[in-house]
Amino acid sequence: MRIPILRLERILLVSIQVDLTDNDAMQFQSDLVERVAEIEALGVAIDITALDVVDSYMARVINDTANMVRLLGAEVVICGIQPFVALTLIEMGRGLLGADCAFNLSQALEMLKRRIAERGDTRFIGDEDV
Amino acid sequence: MNTAFQRLQHDQRAELLADWLQHLTTTFDRHHAHPSSLDIQREVLFNAILATLAGVPSDDFRLDPESELGRHLSRLIAEQARQLANPADSIGSLLALKSILARALIALDAESPVIDELLWLDRVFDGLSLFAFKSFVDIRERLIAEQSLSLLELSTPVLRVWHQVLLLPLVGVIDTQRARQVTERLLESIAQYEARVTILDLTGVPVLDTSVAQHLMKTIDAARLLGTRIVMTGISPEGAQTLTKLGIRFADVISRATLRAGIAEALLIVGRRIAPLNEERPA
Repeated sequence: MRIPILRLERILLVSIQVDLTDNDAMQFQSDLVERVAEIEALGVAIDITALDVVDSYMARVINDTANMVRLLGAEVVICGIQPFVALTLIEMGRGLLGADCAFNLSQALEMLKRRIAERGDTRFIGDEDV
Repeated sequence: MNTAFQRLQHDQRAELLADWLQHLTTTFDRHHAHPSSLDIQREVLFNAILATLAGVPSDDFRLDPESELGRHLSRLIAEQARQLANPADSIGSLLALKSILARALIALDAESPVIDELLWLDRVFDGLSLFAFKSFVDIRERLIAEQSLSLLELSTPVLRVWHQVLLLPLVGVIDTQRARQVTERLLESIAQYEARVTILDLTGVPVLDTSVAQHLMKTIDAARLLGTRIVMTGISPEGAQTLTKLGIRFADVISRATLRAGIAEALLIVGRRIAPLNEERPA
């Protein structure tokens, strides 16, 4: 199953709704990094509202994805972690999800925008390809 | 009583030489320009070989590099190696002479067997081939070492983008030796320009793996000790995936996808930015 990647100006939105197999995860990661590089994204929001269970494998996939995106110079926020999921993640070990988290998508977007503004990225001012 | 080789040397020298040169021209020199100096060198070599063969046979022939024959042969081989000729051609031209001489030897006297002479011929040419092969490889290796050294010099410039902003574009494979040289150059330049930001551009690095990452880490750590901030740029999407899958974290290093983003970031750190002009200049 391919995960759709939505673009909101210079921010990309992805929503993971099912457990990913190895192949899905690879496909998702390479799709996302290609897209980040292509549009020079400034931020990525990863939404996992629909995930009721996050095992250590999924946590690693999400973490890895966040790290890849950061290497390409975009900020990452994870949002929509269910209370029960949060509980099990903490029980499995602190820091399993290394990226910053927000409650829902709108908070995540706010967070990303604030971070991008703090970064003060000036390269798109007066740019034609915005 | 003259030996068979002395008779050959005395009676057929000119014909054998002509045979050999003719053979070389048709077999090996077809595709190359044929410098006339080569013929002279080959003739000198031919004479030296014949002189050696006509000498006293020994059981264990080893070519002395300081002897006349050794010097001629190594000079000829050196020239061919520098012109990037095929090593098979160099050795092959020697072996061609061997077969010409062997045939002449057999034709010399149909009655009496020339086994001892043939064996002597064999030993001499074995020694010559070994020597030629060794000097060919030696010269090529020296050539390669010289070239990689000059590549090293060429491929590690440190550029000054702006006041207190340096750019280090890395191109090509990064091994231990290069990494050390790059680091040295970078540190020197940082100190010289009092750089506050250094952009490390990896666009030209074909493979990112653990060893490359380790070298980069060392460079980055060293640069940090001098008080400069590092902005890493030009990591490809594939590179980002590989690094993450290998479990490599560049903690606290600002990373940007493109050089343009990296320059914008670096300028920001030193409190500048690239902005559009209000009025346009006439072109």
